[in-house]
Amino acid sequence: MDGLLRTPLSDRHEALGARLGDFGGWYMPIEYDGGGVLREHRSVRGGVGLFDVSHLGKLAVTGPGAAALVDSALTNALDRIGPGRAQYTLCCDEWTGGVVDDLLVYLRSADDVLLVPNAANCAEVGRRLAAAVPATVEITDLHQRLGVLAVQGPRCDEVLTGLGLPVGHPYLSFVEAVWHGAAVTVCRSGYTGERGYELIAPAGDLPKLWDALLDAVRDCGGLPCGLGARDTLRTELGYPLHGHELSLEITPVQAGLGWAVGWRKPAFWGRDVLTAERAAGPGRLLRGLVALDRGIPRAGMTVLDGAGGTPVGTVTSGTFSPTLEHGIALALLDAGSTALDTEVVVDVRGRPLRCRVVRPPFVEDRTKAEPGA
Amino acid sequence: MAEIAVPGDLHYTRDHEWVRVEGDLVRMGITDFAQDALGDVVYVNLPAPGSRVSAGTACGEVESTKSVSDVFAPLDGTVVETNPQLGTAPELVNSDAYGQGWMILLRPDAPAAVEGLIDADGYRAMLG
Repeated sequence: MDGLLRTPLSDRHEALGARLGDFGGWYMPIEYDGGGVLREHRSVRGGVGLFDVSHLGKLAVTGPGAAALVDSALTNALDRIGPGRAQYTLCCDEWTGGVVDDLLVYLRSADDVLLVPNAANCAEVGRRLAAAVPATVEITDLHQRLGVLAVQGPRCDEVLTGLGLPVGHPYLSFVEAVWHGAAVTVCRSGYTGERGYELIAPAGDLPKLWDALLDAVRDCGGLPCGLGARDTLRTELGYPLHGHELSLEITPVQAGLGWAVGWRKPAFWGRDVLTAERAAGPGRLLRGLVALDRGIPRAGMTVLDGAGGTPVGTVTSGTFSPTLEHGIALALLDAGSTALDTEVVVDVRGRPLRCRVVRPPFVEDRTKAEPGA
Repeated sequence: MAEIAVPGDLHYTRDHEWVRVEGDLVRMGITDFAQDALGDVVYVNLPAPGSRVSAGTACGEVESTKSVSDVFAPLDGTVVETNPQLGTAPELVNSDAYGQGWMILLRPDAPAAVEGLIDADGYRAMLG
């Protein structure tokens, strides 16, 4: 795994017997010894799990007009939230409307915004923003200077309370805390569909924060969780993963992410082309597929019509749902084949797998559930 | 990572299957190394009893949360029985690869052919 970036916790993951691999150029834990995707997944659904997601990008946009710049570039309307709140948004290509990346924006103030893009796209988002900034606004790449930990699951509040960290603030809001001298941003967010928190802290403070959180998670019967479980968890919610449901070749309109676009804003990258596509109706649309027989649709497999003859789309992500215990998938389907509750066929290595077309999520969204529920 | 188990009394293939001689028949499954590499097994698809299988040719599939792999027949022969438990408890492949996680009971065409498989020392050496 030469040439991969290590998080401040890579040594700890190795010591825990994790299987590690390349994710977006980072050496990341996929699953842990004594865990595995199914156990780790279920620990998050039924209790609590701890993830190192320090591969996520971090870009600080600061100076007079920082928030206004971000608002004029990214799709979502930043005036929908106030300081102390976070928002899911997209960075689109100005000319094609394709998605450069999906990201979370932390609005600290009108002059101070933190962007959290995906690992592989952080530099490109930064490059595009830097090309657009006025002299008053500065973009700082904090990718390796900050780490991110996610505490996810119905018992997440117990874990944070045990460390004296703030809990109970609303979904997609954040609180700045100090923990043993370290500045920790505690946001009610995550990518699992469960109640959860994401903690952003300086890289140098991350090991001691991880150690304390892992002890507390284990005391609650929880597990350290890798990116394998993160993927099955997000797929059950129908959350997109860049490179699968989103890419430069896929627009937010096609991915069903129009809710993350401020259509009434005077400007954002891709506005003209996306507005036209929305008015005309997209040529293809992201849907969920539920396997009706034994089998797992996987990314890249062809979706055929119900008769099993004509190609009508492609699977973008697919897995075995640990919660539902059958195959599920996300797929881009041609406009004429997106009707809900109709049957399609996925070509699984030459064998037909019957699937029902649904609108995700596949499981209940519990991001706003009460603690312990 | 946990230590990989390679029992001394079994025969092995380059495709990470194990074979145990039981009289005229042989029982086979995938090795501890194979199940560890696959991760949590969620589906096992095996040939129907009575099917003919040929050595080194795919005769089934084992699918995990992460990926799918072929199961290769270790010898030429006829399927006598497949593990009925794997339909509802595929995790036995992970928890007991050489025991309750067995896959196929096979009647080999030439029982002596098992001597052409890799022994435990050879398989350990192959894993490095």
